[in-house]
Amino acid sequence: MNTLASWTLAFCRWCNGSFFGHGIRDSAWLFPFVEVFHLLALALLGGILILINLSLLGVRFGNASTRELARELKPWMIGSILVMLLSGFLLFSTEAVKMYGNWAFQLKMLFLLLALLFTLTIYRQVIHAPRAAAGLRALTALISLLLWLGVGLGGRAIGYVTTAATALTAP
Amino acid sequence: MSVLLWLHDTAFGTLVRESTWAEPVIETIHVLTLTAFLGLVILLDLRLLDLALKKTRVAMVFKQLKPWIFAAFGVMLVTGLSLFAGDPVLFYGTLFFKLKMLMLLAAALNVVAFNCTLGRTLPQWDQLSATPRGAKLTGLLSLILWIAVVACGRGIAYVLPPP
Repeated sequence: MNTLASWTLAFCRWCNGSFFGHGIRDSAWLFPFVEVFHLLALALLGGILILINLSLLGVRFGNASTRELARELKPWMIGSILVMLLSGFLLFSTEAVKMYGNWAFQLKMLFLLLALLFTLTIYRQVIHAPRAAAGLRALTALISLLLWLGVGLGGRAIGYVTTAATALTAP
Repeated sequence: MSVLLWLHDTAFGTLVRESTWAEPVIETIHVLTLTAFLGLVILLDLRLLDLALKKTRVAMVFKQLKPWIFAAFGVMLVTGLSLFAGDPVLFYGTLFFKLKMLMLLAAALNVVAFNCTLGRTLPQWDQLSATPRGAKLTGLLSLILWIAVVACGRGIAYVLPPP
């Protein structure tokens, strides 16, 4: 096992044993409670991304340019990403070691990393470029939608992979 | 009750219940469409509360969001009913399902109430710098009711874990 993998596993073990990992796992209602925040934040982020990406694709939002629309939505976008990351981390910490070996979770994290990097770099640049070509804007919107869709589909798959793995190892 | 049993025994209900892929696929569409439906509804509510998109008139926000919200709601309804058809008796037997339906009804009544009152005078107050108190109340109620719908939906999944 290489160094990165062993560090990651050690981190997962630490999460599993942390007070929040323990606390949420042992509570009957804390997990769904945190999950509701996760869902609300991802819904809001999804709504915001739909509006900005539609604007990039040429569907104007009222009189606002993509740049103005993105600026107005910025605090809500940052807020929803932060709530999503924090609540997601808390949910993860309850079964971190199990998630370490879950391919759907690994795929989701890969897409999440790519989506965040893309949003912070190219996406931001294209949104704020006053005269970006229509083709570039459309491509940017498409990549953004696909990356976030990957995060969503990966997230949905986690539960089913866990179920399948449990079924395989059950006596 | 007989309606539930009939739905349970329809070819469609049987398909959703017995197919390996039907339930995960339908539920994935249901949850992913949530980002479109609920996300845009939240933005609409935030606009009514004067907390987001303040530079755009309320009427314009409505006009822009309405077609997407309606389309997404159609998908939510069809996928939701399909999941329900898989085991209507079981779903109907849970408290969270009944609560969710009640909250949905309340959210719909909230929209109707707005359309019958403040919605009619929208062109007048849309010129003002702030939305009237009634509009803020509508937005707040909507937010609370939809959060309750999501919470009850999660509740159903906990009471009835996937097979």
